[in-house]
Amino acid sequence: MSYEDWFRKDRLPHIFCAGCGNGTIINCTLAAIEQMDWKKDDTVFVSGIGCSSRASGYIITDSLHTTHGRAIAFATGVKMANPNLNVVVFTGDGDLAAIGGNHFIHACRRNIDITVVCMNNQIYGMTGGQGSPTTPKGCLSSTTPYGCVESPFDLSELAIAAGANYVSRWTSYHVKELEKAIKTGFETPGFSFIEALVQCPTAFGRRNKFKQVSDQIEYMKAHSLLKAKYDRLVESGEPVPTDMFIVGELAHRKRPVMGAKP
Amino acid sequence: MKLAIDETRCKGCNLCTKVCPYHIFQAGKKPNKKGIVLPELDRPERCANCRLQYLYGRTLCGVCQLTCPDQAIHWVDEEPYEPMKVAIEY
Ligand SMILES: Cc1ncc(C[n+]2csc(CCOP(=O)(O)OP(=O)(O)O)c2C)c(N)n1
Ligand code: SF4
Ligand code: SF4
Ligand code: SF4
Repeated sequence: MSYEDWFRKDRLPHIFCAGCGNGTIINCTLAAIEQMDWKKDDTVFVSGIGCSSRASGYIITDSLHTTHGRAIAFATGVKMANPNLNVVVFTGDGDLAAIGGNHFIHACRRNIDITVVCMNNQIYGMTGGQGSPTTPKGCLSSTTPYGCVESPFDLSELAIAAGANYVSRWTSYHVKELEKAIKTGFETPGFSFIEALVQCPTAFGRRNKFKQVSDQIEYMKAHSLLKAKYDRLVESGEPVPTDMFIVGELAHRKRPVMGAKP
Repeated sequence: MKLAIDETRCKGCNLCTKVCPYHIFQAGKKPNKKGIVLPELDRPERCANCRLQYLYGRTLCGVCQLTCPDQAIHWVDEEPYEPMKVAIEY
């Protein structure tokens, strides 16, 4: 009847903090899977290390909770050994783009047939709120106490440039859109990358003027610019607001695929 | 079907109070045994999914369930002949 059957119910409630967006992203991913008629025995979840990476442990299928940054490397191995499996990776921004950055771009380049869902909370949540490669300029973290001065990575742009077949970005506010995007990612052969911006009230929100969990959700809602609207602004030559991020389907193409189902 | 919050899972983040188009979830007042303030349900029979999910054979709306980070929101079957209130929103 619903995606609830995919949870390891004995493991719930999970360890995420109250209001942590990771739980929402797990819901959306499982709701998308539920529509795919995938068998639990043919589906594998892989993740690295981090709060977000604990997600695979709450799902009833076979799963791998691997070493920090190496989720995609393990997932590549699983998929190449048995291309009939459906391989889904849960990862965090630090896991994916800092220590695992090389695995990420090379998986995009190879266009291996896996789906990566990145819960981008713009900080290292698990280890106490250090700045990550996606911490926006000016944001406070325990390693950037006067505000981050570095330019952040745009993970989706990175995936497009490196060659992923499907790329889209949504937030934990856009649950229905995210569910649809993940489903399209599953259906698209090749590397599918779904970036989900999430709130981390404990490590990020607390330091960055989001007193309530919902404040950060409201912020994400107000600062997301739909891809279609962005395209219209660019076409008409109007200025694009600099404090907003683009959400929607950013790439959907047919580059040659590695490890596709025979 | 009836809307229900699982007390063993809810962590009281109140995100559900932000997403329901009918504002069925309202911030609660009293902490439970674990010290968590569960949201209260305001006339939950108005929820589209309670009324129509069997008729349509799928989940309708369901945004609160997808949003709830703690998998605490679900629907349970009524007891046979359980008295029900009918609320219609115009
Ligand atoms: C090789 C190695 N280096 C460093 C760490 C410490 N470490 C654990 S989790 C983490 C960051 C996780 O951040 P992210 O992937 O963004 O996940 P989040 O906790 O924010 O969801 C780090 C640096 C580790 N476990 N292993
Ligand atoms: S530290 Fe942040 S990312 Fe980790 S569980 Fe808590 S809210 Fe979620
Ligand atoms: S969203 Fe879920 S965990 Fe948060 S208050 Fe509502 S029922 Fe509880
Ligand atoms: S399913 Fe929709 S209408 Fe029903 S309680 Fe949840 S958010 Fe409200």
